[in-house]
Amino acid sequence: MATDIQELLEDSVLVQCRVNGAHVEEEIHPATSLLDFLREQLRLTGTHMGCMTGHCGACTVMIDGQITKSCITLAASVQRKKITTVEGLRNEDDSLHPVQQAFCEESGFQCGYCSPGMLLSTLELLRENPNPSDAEIRKALSGNLCRCTGYQSIVRAVRVASKLYSVDKDSVS
Amino acid sequence: MSLRLQYARPRDLDQTIGLLDGLSAGAMVIAGGQELMPHLNYGRISPSVFVDIGNLKELQGISATDEGISIGALTVHRDLQTNALINESLPLLAYAAAQIGGGRQVHNRGTIGGNIVAVHPLYDIIPALLVLEAQIEIVSAAGSRVSNLGDLLTDTSHQLGTHALLTRIVVPHPPQPHGWAYEKLKISDGCYASANAAAMVTLRPDGKLGAVRLTIGAVTEQTIDLTPALSDLVAEDPDADLNDTIAEVCKASIPEPLSDQQGHGEYRRAMASVVARRAVAAAVESARG
Repeated sequence: MATDIQELLEDSVLVQCRVNGAHVEEEIHPATSLLDFLREQLRLTGTHMGCMTGHCGACTVMIDGQITKSCITLAASVQRKKITTVEGLRNEDDSLHPVQQAFCEESGFQCGYCSPGMLLSTLELLRENPNPSDAEIRKALSGNLCRCTGYQSIVRAVRVASKLYSVDKDSVS
Repeated sequence: MSLRLQYARPRDLDQTIGLLDGLSAGAMVIAGGQELMPHLNYGRISPSVFVDIGNLKELQGISATDEGISIGALTVHRDLQTNALINESLPLLAYAAAQIGGGRQVHNRGTIGGNIVAVHPLYDIIPALLVLEAQIEIVSAAGSRVSNLGDLLTDTSHQLGTHALLTRIVVPHPPQPHGWAYEKLKISDGCYASANAAAMVTLRPDGKLGAVRLTIGAVTEQTIDLTPALSDLVAEDPDADLNDTIAEVCKASIPEPLSDQQGHGEYRRAMASVVARRAVAAAVESARG
């Protein structure tokens, strides 16, 4: 049977997904990146725009628990997925997530531009590997660039985060 | 950003092929987005339609067949690194996938098929797949065909056109036992290579070299397969000084090295020999177990 091409082509896309636990339903332009969708349409500006080429990692978010760079992810492709941004790390009582707490305690950020990505990359690492070595921490953060804090204090923050964070008590959706 | 861009998300392979067959040349297939999205963000491409193949089940999964290990084109780099069958049968591919730049975020989302059709000189998958003599399955309205990956890479584009789809990669079962190595010279962990080399070696029962397969990436527009040029190494003592032979072959095969942020051309040419020698030596050690 011949494919009805016109029936398959859409000028706009209805995206249905969960963002930080909340159901989201939005009409978007097909070329919209996940980054623009989050920042411009949902006003979740904690996810930062950096290079727009997938190098710097400032735009890191989680899709179904796996980190990805939202600037090089097509928003139309996240149908029925669970998206977690840095705003989703906040505990219900407004206290800091243990990974955020560790970054505060160890000065794991200075200007804070790379922090949303650093935090989510750290969270994925600790979910898989609760006690990472320094080499494993550096490998896990190799997709995140920092240009002011310095990586020493970030690695130290992840080390402390591994002590504060427990997968069993993880409230992030 | 193209304001006229349309989007299609076909439900299966048949529908995808029908769609691609009927669309104009302005249509582009997108999966993980790791290759196309930077170009879209910077206005370097303006497709008329994005055909999103991210959900096609026919392009997923890794399995062993009589022909070899069959890898769906949508397999992400992370799965290549962690899949038990790949690690057991094709450890070179698992290791090369772990060296891809951009960090875990890219490994979670970038696909092997996208990496191939990008035909990017700095990517890590093609040098490993060429050493492993990979074949690719291509489906179009005219039917399905299998081609050597190397035959498809005679130019800087993938030559699939806009109506055909890369669906699977089939890697023949490598000879057992064999040694392998992937050497990537890079500035930092998440970076592209300044030069990389993939090698596979077998040793004869008398300890002499059997097959020597070697590819060099990231120094020219296309990955260079040095295997034919190294045929003289067969039956050589692997402990003999092979460096001069490898260096000569490398030098002769790189007339116009790339010059970019990963290094100046002359440096890249010199480093190609270095990674090539290291890769062969490491593969010999690996073959000895």
